[in-house]
Amino acid sequence: MFNEATLELLISSFPKILEYGLKVTIPLAALAFVLSTVLSVFVAMIQYAQVPVARQICRFYIWIIRGTPLLVQLMVAFYGLPLLGIHSNPFVMAVIVFTINEGAYSAETVRAAMEAVPAGQLEAGYCVGMNYMQIMWHIILPQAFRTAFPSLFNALISMVKDTSLASSITVVEMFTRTKQIAGQSYNYLPLYIEVAIVYLLFCTVLTYVQKRGELSLASYGVRK
Amino acid sequence: MALLEVKNIHKSFGAGEVLKGIDLTVEKGDVVSILGASGSGKTTLLRCINFLEKADEGQLLFNGKDYHLLGISKADISAIRRNTGFVFQNYCLFANKTVLQNVTLGLTSARHVPAAEAREKAMDVLTKVGMQDHVDKYPSQLSGGQQQRVAIARALATDPSIIYFDEPTSALDPQLTAEVLEVMRKLADEGMTMIVVTHEIGFAREVSSKVVFMADGVIVEEGKPEEFFVNPKEEKTREFLRLTE
Repeated sequence: MFNEATLELLISSFPKILEYGLKVTIPLAALAFVLSTVLSVFVAMIQYAQVPVARQICRFYIWIIRGTPLLVQLMVAFYGLPLLGIHSNPFVMAVIVFTINEGAYSAETVRAAMEAVPAGQLEAGYCVGMNYMQIMWHIILPQAFRTAFPSLFNALISMVKDTSLASSITVVEMFTRTKQIAGQSYNYLPLYIEVAIVYLLFCTVLTYVQKRGELSLASYGVRK
Repeated sequence: MALLEVKNIHKSFGAGEVLKGIDLTVEKGDVVSILGASGSGKTTLLRCINFLEKADEGQLLFNGKDYHLLGISKADISAIRRNTGFVFQNYCLFANKTVLQNVTLGLTSARHVPAAEAREKAMDVLTKVGMQDHVDKYPSQLSGGQQQRVAIARALATDPSIIYFDEPTSALDPQLTAEVLEVMRKLADEGMTMIVVTHEIGFAREVSSKVVFMADGVIVEEGKPEEFFVNPKEEKTREFLRLTE
């Protein structure tokens, strides 16, 4: 199986696979990650502040999203949104679905991190005259972010790999591109191993970034 | 007219009534020490006056204005808090901010004071508490006594009409306690109005203008320290003072 022709195929396909990784997989994951983090902070804050009604809506959203498979959510969006008159390209649709999906999980991460900030921080904020939103912005969220950072990064690493599911709604991302090349050559296994290595490469870089990130966020003087 | 007057504060947690109708008057320049055993309600009283706990009943007269503790508006609470300072037992410095930022935040964020002006004011009060050489450190890099002095500077920075101290030295060893009490004594000498919930009998005796003794959610006895300590009228007070000798 691993003859000269295979080696040539691996070498010639590598830039093509990497191209779709950098052009589609990474942007999809990065966009959805940034948007889902923003969404999760909103959802977490509504629950932290115990806003009536909005809080129940957030719980409902988290319940639905965490209770159904991502693949099913992609399909429902793909076939359902056009019925509602929303036509957009598959990439945008994938960004939306990944954002909503990850937002539900990260919202719980962020909420837990906010609740881990000692109550005295909020009280001290009130006592120097700050209002709720000022305390959130200057005190609670920065401290919660530091706690949530490793878990959020975990989610990002997961998402890089989950983007391969976008192939099911016709997004040509790195895995789909690999399938196409494999289909043309009838030489599947080596190419799938190759794409696995590229995913691994991406995640290795992200792991390094996480480590650097944690160091630079570290500890407000606890250890430097 | 009194700077601060509270009338008939009641507060329950579940079935237990912690405050059973407290009246207290504080004149400008007063240093009021509140003594009492743990569980007597003295911390709850302080927290109710600054709305960290919601009282079930009671009235507050502050800076010439009358407020009902129950059903007071957010705007009124915030207006009162802008004129008060609070020092916590466990300091509660903002963990993600440096010493300087801890002091300036109430000015720049809550009062929109320009950064340069806030910094100047912060250096002023940090110098007053002897922390001017540690401005770029984080709270976790300071001793308990240093953290509490920064907390006092933070309370001072906004020029409050009164500062509440909730057992400010209870978490500190004797040496650090002394350095914090020294700062508080200085403030008292400068005429700062303070209510101090404390176990420091020495401080209450030497610094305060008025001593209040609480037990089981009521004020048992109050008076000038020279009368209170030398000639206590109530049996409960005498017993308490015997135990703390």
